[in-house]
Amino acid sequence: MAMLSDQPMRSSLQVAPLALQKARIDAGDNVSDSTVASNPYSQSQITPPTTPNGSQEDLNIPANVASPVFHSFLRAFYPFHPSYVMTDSTVTLPLSEGDIILVHSIHTNGWADGTLLVSGMRGWLPTNYCEAYGPEEMRNLLKALLNFWDLMRSTWGSDNEMFGNQEFMKGIIVGVRYLLERTHCLSRESPLVQRHEGLRRSRKSLLSELSSLVKTAKRLQETEKMVDPEEEINTVVDEMILKAFKIVTKGVKFLDILEDDRRQRASAIGIMGTLLEDTCVPPTPPADSATFDNGQEQIGDADSRADENGGVAEPALSGPSEVAQIQPPTNKRLSAVYSMGTNARRLSQGNPSQVNRLSSTIQHRVSLAGSSPLTQSQNLVSGRLTSCHDLFLSHLGSFIGRLQVQSQSRPHLALAIKQSVTSGGELLVVVDVVCSHGSPTSDVLDQFRAAMYDRIQDLVHTARDVLTNSGPEMEDVIVPQDNGRLLGAATGCVKATGECVAKARWVIERIGDFEFEFDNGSLGVDFDLSALDAIPGERSTPPSAYSPSIAESSVSEAPTASTAVSVASPAPAAPRPTALSVDKPLPEVPQITSPLNETFETRRSPPSSRPQSLVDDNASSMVSSVSSLRPSLPPLPKISTSLLAASEYSPTEPSATTDGEFRSFRAESMTASSSGSGSTYLSRDSESSLMSQTSTRATTPDSTQIPRSQPSLSELSVAESSTHTEEVDDVESRLLERTYAHELIFNKEGQVTGGTLPALVERLTTHEATPDALFVSTFYLTFRLFCTPEKLAEALVDRFDYIGEAPHIAGPVRLRTYNVFKGWLESHWKEEADSEALPLIKHFAEFKLGSVLPSAAKRLVELTDKVTLSDITLVPRLASAMTRTNSLVTLALPPDASLPNPVITRGQLNSLANWKAGGSSPSILDLDPLEVARQLTIKQVSLFCSITPDELLGSKWTKEAGAHTPNVKAMMAFTTGLSHLVADTILQYEEVKKRALVIKHWIKIAHQCQCLHNYDALMAITCALTDTSIKRLRITWENVSIKRKEMLKSLQSIVEFNQNYKVLRSRLHDHVPPCLPFLGMFLTDLTFVDVGNPATKTSDTGLTVINFDKHMRTAKSIGELQRFQIPYRLIDVPDLQEWLWTQIDRLRDKEKVGANAQASHYRKSLLLEPRETQQARTSSETTSTSTSTATTVSNGMFGWLRSNSTTDTLMPAQI
Amino acid sequence: MPSSRYAYQPSREFHVVVLGAGGVGKSCLTAQFVHNEWIESYDPTIEDSYRTQVSVDGRQVMLEILDTAGTEQFVAMRDLYMKTGQGFLLVFSITSRASLQELVTLRDEIIRIKDDENIPIVIVGNKADLVDQRQVDRAKAFSISQRWQAPYYEASARTRTNVDEVFVDLCRQMLRRDDAQEHSQDSYYDKGEDPSSSRRRRKRKQKQGPRCAIL
Repeated sequence: MAMLSDQPMRSSLQVAPLALQKARIDAGDNVSDSTVASNPYSQSQITPPTTPNGSQEDLNIPANVASPVFHSFLRAFYPFHPSYVMTDSTVTLPLSEGDIILVHSIHTNGWADGTLLVSGMRGWLPTNYCEAYGPEEMRNLLKALLNFWDLMRSTWGSDNEMFGNQEFMKGIIVGVRYLLERTHCLSRESPLVQRHEGLRRSRKSLLSELSSLVKTAKRLQETEKMVDPEEEINTVVDEMILKAFKIVTKGVKFLDILEDDRRQRASAIGIMGTLLEDTCVPPTPPADSATFDNGQEQIGDADSRADENGGVAEPALSGPSEVAQIQPPTNKRLSAVYSMGTNARRLSQGNPSQVNRLSSTIQHRVSLAGSSPLTQSQNLVSGRLTSCHDLFLSHLGSFIGRLQVQSQSRPHLALAIKQSVTSGGELLVVVDVVCSHGSPTSDVLDQFRAAMYDRIQDLVHTARDVLTNSGPEMEDVIVPQDNGRLLGAATGCVKATGECVAKARWVIERIGDFEFEFDNGSLGVDFDLSALDAIPGERSTPPSAYSPSIAESSVSEAPTASTAVSVASPAPAAPRPTALSVDKPLPEVPQITSPLNETFETRRSPPSSRPQSLVDDNASSMVSSVSSLRPSLPPLPKISTSLLAASEYSPTEPSATTDGEFRSFRAESMTASSSGSGSTYLSRDSESSLMSQTSTRATTPDSTQIPRSQPSLSELSVAESSTHTEEVDDVESRLLERTYAHELIFNKEGQVTGGTLPALVERLTTHEATPDALFVSTFYLTFRLFCTPEKLAEALVDRFDYIGEAPHIAGPVRLRTYNVFKGWLESHWKEEADSEALPLIKHFAEFKLGSVLPSAAKRLVELTDKVTLSDITLVPRLASAMTRTNSLVTLALPPDASLPNPVITRGQLNSLANWKAGGSSPSILDLDPLEVARQLTIKQVSLFCSITPDELLGSKWTKEAGAHTPNVKAMMAFTTGLSHLVADTILQYEEVKKRALVIKHWIKIAHQCQCLHNYDALMAITCALTDTSIKRLRITWENVSIKRKEMLKSLQSIVEFNQNYKVLRSRLHDHVPPCLPFLGMFLTDLTFVDVGNPATKTSDTGLTVINFDKHMRTAKSIGELQRFQIPYRLIDVPDLQEWLWTQIDRLRDKEKVGANAQASHYRKSLLLEPRETQQARTSSETTSTSTSTATTVSNGMFGWLRSNSTTDTLMPAQI
Repeated sequence: MPSSRYAYQPSREFHVVVLGAGGVGKSCLTAQFVHNEWIESYDPTIEDSYRTQVSVDGRQVMLEILDTAGTEQFVAMRDLYMKTGQGFLLVFSITSRASLQELVTLRDEIIRIKDDENIPIVIVGNKADLVDQRQVDRAKAFSISQRWQAPYYEASARTRTNVDEVFVDLCRQMLRRDDAQEHSQDSYYDKGEDPSSSRRRRKRKQKQGPRCAIL
């Protein structure tokens, strides 16, 4: 049966915090045969959750539960016309049946904050009056509306950047196109449109709406250019949002008409009876996660049972008139209304709608709602999370700040710690709440929560130790090393908290934001701060055995903060300002009894008791409470719109637009963005450094430093002055364009992160805006990793072909297509790999391109001939503005002006010449450290600069012994050879003094390398000097001065790989070349980008697409490397070069013969200084202690943890 | 008792070094382990890329994983890597006999540098999903496992088999060793500067026999 196959769909019922499935009773025809079946079984199945607190545990059990999905769109199922629509502070949205609502957030009590698309009004609405909306045909349009809404309200980047081209309009247009395509109404001439007059009209009005939006977008673009556009833009943007709403409304209407039509035709051929309605009304969810634990099985059972039993027919009630006459519900549990075949309107929708419900967009809607001053009282969890986090950070920040100041008084510190820990506890409560809501995903969060908790505990403990244990002579002063410990603990807290909050945000994003009551007076999770309290008075208190006084409020036991709070602080006195969840039950659903009583039973008791509503399980009194309700919903931002005035929503109008409450979308979003500062998303700005200015020259695919001119006007502007009908036509023609735009995935910064090949190619050849330079260069660099050259050529040719269907934009697109080919052949051609595509390109040039752009075709043919002839290896550079600038700087220097003279004496030159003539080899000691460093650098940079981007793709250098990556291999070999040379030169001397001299000499050379920013050599030399075979030469090192050893330590700390090369990375960041980074770091990064990111990803709509994000990251890394591929301006000393080269080569040969160089060095080392006996050990301790200190100091943030253990364990040996 | 999950425990931090010849897929192993599947895209350039927290027998352990991925040819750096490690994952590919051979050298080096024969080690035969290309049979791997007194796992980064297990096993070894050091009076720990220290440590060997986990 269809019901059974519907099972996957039911998982959408797990959506927190609301689950909506309704039987639609078609008000349109008021069908008499519509039956409402209530399922007797559901009553026994769904027992009130006796232990609401345990629900969280249960939620984790079913493994196959799909993650809750937040429904972004709802459709009103019943009309809702509250008599108390408006008060001074809140708006309740009146709903007409069929209205579409964009949901921003849903409160736990079942009220949702949403915007009514038909009017643009925002307010509260009862979710039990609605159903989730999102039929397959509308999916792309709805998603586009979400993106549009986000984009329009975001304040990222500049408006200029955003509105400068019409790219942002594309989503909506593509969405409409998709709707029409899916319904086979794309063309005006389609039989369906021709046949059905209503459909034709509806289609036309949809298109005219779209055209109007496009026009407004144009206007916006022009407004941009005005002197002080801010005001104006806000108005236009508001207008556009409303227009976009209208488009969606029209789209919905269109679909409804179409379905009516389908249904009629379906009934005509008599299949109606066989179609099973897929919707089922579960008990109106109390919108509380507590009921979800049993929900799934119950619903599943209910379905199957319903199948068997048919169901009990009840007279259907519909229409607003009956709403008033509802009898008090007999039993809520009967409300699992199951309608069979009654939902005529949705019948034909069948399968698509299931699919789409499953894959509803996961959107973090609420970040928009929670931020304006007016809406702060909504208690959104995300908002609370952010504010708690901010508070915690600011406390910790001031605490850390205090630590920097000398001579802290302890009471002050204790206070600061207390503040920090208290706010940390509050944050933990919020995290707990999120944990309890984010059922299947909260495991991970639990972990991070535990880590954060541990860190805070650490802080408390450290603080206690420091504050209580210092001797009386210290008075009120904290000694510096204790400062360090505290600092470590505090930074640990910051880090762990950051991670935890990030995960919590992620969970919120998955499950949708929700509201929650937090009691301001509570401390949340308690920490034992008594030790701190004791400080000022009694200092000698021994650190009492710590009893973890974690309020037994942890997540698993108490899913809500309310409970947690009531444990922590039993009697909060102050009544909360907004008692939303308690005061405002959902209204009765017409004719379907809703389990309001359960709703209240399942609610955990809030700290401040409000008996009247809590213990109320009498349904009739509930009804009265509904009518007598004075809404105390928090205020919502409203927009005042001209559209509204004319609409039937006038009852709400008068008070809605009081001056004080007037808010524009835009203005509100300004506040939104500022409060969202805690967000971890990258802003567009931070990315921009990588993107060079895009060139608008259609003929240059490679970007150059040409200032961006005005974006070329799209073809739409052509029709601008024409009449309305023509505009509609224009939009129509635009809709007819074949496009793959819906197959692209973008990230929050608007960058492409995935797409199918045709979609990526379309992006590459878009006519509307100049392609993003980073995108283009990434594409050229990496396309061989995700498709074959032949496939790319085919896709390009295909693009060239299908754009012909849209004559008005074919021109620019075809030119761009030609340019992509041209760029490929000119600067990205790889003969051995790409030659297979050449016949295709040639054929294309001669036959297809030739007929449209003859001269371009000629040029392309020339190019195809050229690439076969020449085999010059091209070194394509990523178009990075940075690189360009730097190379310009380097080249702009007057030649010879700043070239430093080689530091080399005649004697040294002579001895080198003598060596060349066959004489004895000079020692490294004979040469000046600076000059050795310079010559090493010259050699290494030349190797580094010859590395091609191609060698760095797909971890090629690790395969087949680097056969295809000669330059990477050579560079690595040189670096390793240098290390061996260092060890070898030291170990060649029998005399201790000599060895010490060589060590000192190499330290000096390393220092010079650092001055030259040659981090590769620095790495090689420090590695060698700290190698076990050198490090263990205790007697030798005793002959090296402290000063040199200190120098080595500081050099080492620069290139150490702790914390993922933290120090080196921060040095390289923004480093101006010339500079030679450590190649190994890039190689590791590239390896992990390659293996850590999958090749494909799945889009929201279930499409498998190329994971372009992976390639972007690869390109970014390579671009960063290329930034440094700039030669130093140094003078060669050929003889010295040759000498160094020979020395390294000699060792390499030796290594080939005699296996492992490391091992042979170690043997040599043992010979020089044999293992020491037990007695001799004591004296060596000094060395080892100093080294261990060196490592611990550099361990950074968590260093204090280890430093303790190391010194502790070393103790016995030293004694 | 759910609340005990958050009971105070000093969280420990260990450095784990992943070693093996190039191309045995050890970086896949690391990436799979550190990469939570719910992160949309993996950025290895940030400070925390290789840090992860694991829960071993109810204890929270912070792992910093050092993977030489892509830089196997910088032989000189190996010493430095090994010095920082407290536990080692020796990875070879069951499809390459040479990669197993490489482990012998690596292990010798570890023992030389750490100067400790009981340093926690786990041997991993990767690419276990490529059964038809197998070159190293289990008996061979198992005999090495016994000889080295180190557990052997066959894992597959591709199918995510035994990925977490190998790291957890290593953690367990490191924790046990850490506990033993804390409790035994005379034992001490240093970076292994001096050979004599290891003699004492050798007698305190309480490891169970090697385990062999196969798919």
